[in-house]
Amino acid sequence: MTNDVLAKQLAGLPVKLLHHLARKRVPRHFRMGKNRLIQTLLALSPDQQAEIETSLASLLQEPARSPDLPKPPDTPSRPSPPRHNVPAEPAPAISTKELFEGIGVPPQRPFKPDDWQQEAINHLATNDVILSVPTGSGKTYVALEAMRRAIEAEQTIIYTSPLKALSNTKLTEFSQTFGSDQVGILTGDRRDNPQAPILIMTTEILRNLLYDAASGEIDMRLDTLGLIILDESQFLADRERGVVWEETIIFAPAQSRLLLLSASIGNPDEVAAWISSIRSTSCHLIHHRNRSVPLRAAYLDPSGKLAPFFRTRDIAHGKGVALHPETKRLFANYEDRTLGPRKR
Amino acid sequence: MPPAIHPVDLLQALRHQRLTPAIVFLTSRRACDEAIDSFEHRHVSIPATRSAAITHVLEKMTAEYPSIADHPLIPTVQHYGVAAHHAGHLPSWKIAVEELMRQGCLDAVFATTTLAAGVDFPARTVVVTQSSVRKDRDIMELTVNEIQQLAGRGGRRGKDYVGFVVVTPSPYIDLGPIANGLTNHPEPIDSQFLLSYPMVLNLLKAHTVDHIQPILEKSFAQFQINQRADRYETKLDEVETQLEAYGQRECADWITQWQSFTLAKKRRSHHRLKTRHDPPEVSAQLAFLTPGRVVELSKDHAIVLRQYRSRGQGYAMLTVIRSGGQIVEYPANTITAVIDEIIDVAEARKFPWCTPHSLKHAIETLENFPTRLRRLPIRVDQDGTDSPVLTEMLSHEFPCPTCPARPACQKDHPQALKLRQEDHRLTKTIHALRTELWHRFQQHVEVLQKFGYLTPACQLTPEGDWARLIRINHSLLITELIRMGAFEGISASLLAGVLASIAHDDDRPASFPGRHPALISTLGQVRKVAHSLSAYEEPPLLRWDIAAIADLWIGQPTLPWSEFIRSTTMAEGDLYRLLARTLEYLSQLHGLRSTHPGLADSARDAMDRMRRDVLQELP
Repeated sequence: MTNDVLAKQLAGLPVKLLHHLARKRVPRHFRMGKNRLIQTLLALSPDQQAEIETSLASLLQEPARSPDLPKPPDTPSRPSPPRHNVPAEPAPAISTKELFEGIGVPPQRPFKPDDWQQEAINHLATNDVILSVPTGSGKTYVALEAMRRAIEAEQTIIYTSPLKALSNTKLTEFSQTFGSDQVGILTGDRRDNPQAPILIMTTEILRNLLYDAASGEIDMRLDTLGLIILDESQFLADRERGVVWEETIIFAPAQSRLLLLSASIGNPDEVAAWISSIRSTSCHLIHHRNRSVPLRAAYLDPSGKLAPFFRTRDIAHGKGVALHPETKRLFANYEDRTLGPRKR
Repeated sequence: MPPAIHPVDLLQALRHQRLTPAIVFLTSRRACDEAIDSFEHRHVSIPATRSAAITHVLEKMTAEYPSIADHPLIPTVQHYGVAAHHAGHLPSWKIAVEELMRQGCLDAVFATTTLAAGVDFPARTVVVTQSSVRKDRDIMELTVNEIQQLAGRGGRRGKDYVGFVVVTPSPYIDLGPIANGLTNHPEPIDSQFLLSYPMVLNLLKAHTVDHIQPILEKSFAQFQINQRADRYETKLDEVETQLEAYGQRECADWITQWQSFTLAKKRRSHHRLKTRHDPPEVSAQLAFLTPGRVVELSKDHAIVLRQYRSRGQGYAMLTVIRSGGQIVEYPANTITAVIDEIIDVAEARKFPWCTPHSLKHAIETLENFPTRLRRLPIRVDQDGTDSPVLTEMLSHEFPCPTCPARPACQKDHPQALKLRQEDHRLTKTIHALRTELWHRFQQHVEVLQKFGYLTPACQLTPEGDWARLIRINHSLLITELIRMGAFEGISASLLAGVLASIAHDDDRPASFPGRHPALISTLGQVRKVAHSLSAYEEPPLLRWDIAAIADLWIGQPTLPWSEFIRSTTMAEGDLYRLLARTLEYLSQLHGLRSTHPGLADSARDAMDRMRRDVLQELP
């Protein structure tokens, strides 16, 4: 075959095939264009040209198969490996009926304080106390009991809350317990009954009082101040106001006890260690997650159907607690209906 | 299918399972109000006996808080036993709703999630409809703390055997975060120690500057910082033990010495390095690798066709022809040996770099080679990394070229340097952490000295002595305005208007009751001052419509609350909070009566005129 005939034949081929021919014969063939590739192939030694001609002939006889064709169906697909990490068969999920069993009002029983409540009150005689327990499990009882003891010891009590609205609620509550002449309230511009043994205020007001006392302009009975109750003290981590709680705790008079009431937080031990490190007495931490009224969770579908939220009836603690299969199914349906059209 | 359950159906489903009373947390105030409205359209009223009980409680509450008397929501509450509870309502109304809930009169309260902390009343059931909330224009996922705060309202001690959290989907929900929030440990809290100007002034009033640092060290912020710093200290100790192995050698600080020596060497030989990257073995070979030279490539022989430099890195490269006729390119360092044989190759300028004739000749020669050929011995200058001239030059300045410890230094230097850098980094971090609060305090002190509230010796000036009593946000702006005399001789209503616009930090839109030229011009001046202070204190929004609203309330002492709220689109709860905050700011000005009697008097005047009607009900 002469060079001209070969050149013509090569020019008629797709460039992909030309690269196939040039493999291992021309270095860096992949960087060349079609014309240069043909020229280079023609410039090869006569022996190599003969090789090219034979492979060209064989290529032209069988039609080229593109490499990305799907695999022929007869190749057996790999069987899926057996699943090894199947967890132990879980306990059967509870039914909706079981979930709603036992709703009702318990009979009136004489109130008996829990052990931790008693423990908190006892410790307050000598130590500062942090209570980090779930909402609604009886922090207020501890506060009331501690106040009662302080009043008996003729001490002044300051109760602070982060919101004025809560101050008003507490004013009503304490007035009902101790009588309205025993409770006073201080706001930025008003003082109601400031001579009463129990004073309610926002934490900012207390901080201001402590600053005034520190600079010698005392107009409060801080020397008889026996107990400071800081409600909602998880506000310590509030972005704007948290510093006020820190200032209050730092400047609280040494002779008065601190009682910090807080919702469940992750590191109450750290807060307790801090308070112990800066105050004259150590700070006792009472921390648990048991609710006095057990809590259960349910899922309500927009269709009005109720299902248990978790597989178990009571809410378990820990990571990776499984949702109830019925809830999963209902929520998947809900998402399909509400998100479906937008996705498509 | 609607994206969320209808409130009436929701309550029906809850009643069916005896899950009432319930608190339903919704995304917005508007959603709460609409939920209440929707009961009007469906007419599902409660029995008359319960309505009567609600009326009875409300009557008792009205005696204490008259503003409840003609609240527009009272009929809805009486007929359907549901109420809304959010920041848009007056505090007195919220107290009434809470009391109704405590008495067990209501079936459901619709509340906003943002005010979960303010919802201080329990119910049997809590309904959660969302897993994220809007915070400062951002959508944030609810934290574990927040979800537990919401769920904690479920189940009343002494009134319920069990409490319930009912999750119902809405467009703002994902089940994952809620399940996580119900079961997981709450997040740890971190200190947010924000230093403010009044705080600095108050500290320096009571203590001398030498005592401040110990006080700052008592903060929770410093406590947490110390814990972090302690962790770094342990790491530092480890690094220092490792560093001991690299102690003193011929010279005291050999790491630095060696580093400057290598640096100097690199600099001096810079022009040489640019052209020559090759290791000594390669550069020794290069002179022999001319076209036609036979070389050994792993187990094979090849003939060099050309020698060139790679374009990018300038490596020495060879084009060779291998047995079988392949023309291949290799870096020169892959040549295993140079053979003592050269064949004739006529060079060409293009691929295949030689004439076709010599190519054929080369292929034939390759095929006929015996397997063993004599290798060319090439002497490699092993010690040639430093040229003698360079060594000569450097030995004037450094002992290293002749030092006996040189091999050890060369070997250990990378590891020792890494350790020492780590050591320095940790020391710096620890120092920065330990002094962070003190540093921030000093920054505040500098600003206060600049404005003349503190003497250079960090004692309060007469100005600072009264300025420390202004313990509110934007205190620097307010004290500067007082010093400029901006409040001298202005009317009580104008003073309250300006303070209201400084106090208000919400950008919810509101309509305004009309322009007021004196107010606009005063606010214009305040804005200029606030702008000039913006480097030291975030300027307030200074909305003139807010100022006009406060001005209206004080300017017309006979205006009743019900008419006042009709003059603007602001929710009455927001109005109440705005006026209450203004009162607080005014009372701070009133506290300056010993130094600024005129200002204190007009503040007192404004407060007296503000405290009427609804604003008098609660302390």
